[in-house]
Amino acid sequence: MDEVSKSQIDRLGDRLRAGNIDDEDLRLLDRYRLSFSKAYEFVVRKIRDDLRYEPTGRPAKSTTSISEKLRRETIRLTQIQDIAGCRIVTPDMLDQVLVVGELEYQFKGAIIIDRRDTPSHGYRAVHVIVRHSGKLVEIQVRTALQHLWAELSEKLADLIDPAIKYGGGGEKRPDILDKTSEMVAEAENLEWELTQIPKEDRPQTVDSRVEEFKARLFDLLKARIEALTGK
Amino acid sequence: MLFLIEYDRESGKIVTFRSFDDSEREDAEHSRLEKELELNRRGVEREVVILEAPTEAAVRRTHRRYFESLRELVEAS
Repeated sequence: MDEVSKSQIDRLGDRLRAGNIDDEDLRLLDRYRLSFSKAYEFVVRKIRDDLRYEPTGRPAKSTTSISEKLRRETIRLTQIQDIAGCRIVTPDMLDQVLVVGELEYQFKGAIIIDRRDTPSHGYRAVHVIVRHSGKLVEIQVRTALQHLWAELSEKLADLIDPAIKYGGGGEKRPDILDKTSEMVAEAENLEWELTQIPKEDRPQTVDSRVEEFKARLFDLLKARIEALTGK
Repeated sequence: MLFLIEYDRESGKIVTFRSFDDSEREDAEHSRLEKELELNRRGVEREVVILEAPTEAAVRRTHRRYFESLRELVEAS
């Protein structure tokens, strides 16, 4: 990739933004994405071999997703931070905190983007951005509930309007996304607070109340999805 | 393993799905480019992506959106 300049890549980004690309553009984009391979493989191998987690890797962001991001945001192609990345899904927030802590330790200087307290259009997760060999690799760490919400948001964006994922979509945006994002946060914060209390000191009913709350959340999701899909 | 997915966002369904061994990384990457070239020439917009995981089941767990309908996403949870 050394022979291709940053300005050439950013001009390619302009053409992607305009939706006007040919074979040569796709080949150039492919070369640019492949230039992240070394960094991607370093990060994924370290997570697998040293941390013993099994992330799902995505060595290169799709052309569709890159084009959409360029249209949506005022950034250049060379500024996109998640060309290469991987995802780890944890059972709950306690494990999420542990995983993020281990990643911070393994990848010194990594940037932590915590979207749990300040969600991005309802999206909650922790992203760890690692720099290696001059390239950035994004590690998404989501709890099972955060992951379910994100998958629903993405699926609704696919089927209804891509803008839904980013808070747009106008009247087409299902209100279920905002409401359930808050409920996920509430359930997880409650669960997190419980983990701070030694099990022997917890009232017996508290754990089951968290489970009841989660069950209600799933029931609500199911009911609203049924309403949306007309079944 | 590597999984090459061609996904139609509008219908929310996978169009083609191919798996490759870890040793076939270059083949997978070449196939991705060839698929993108072919779609672009035909003027068809699809998401083409390679995912990497130990098993197909792992990919289905971490990237459910490609494999499941809206209802299935919620019901399997």
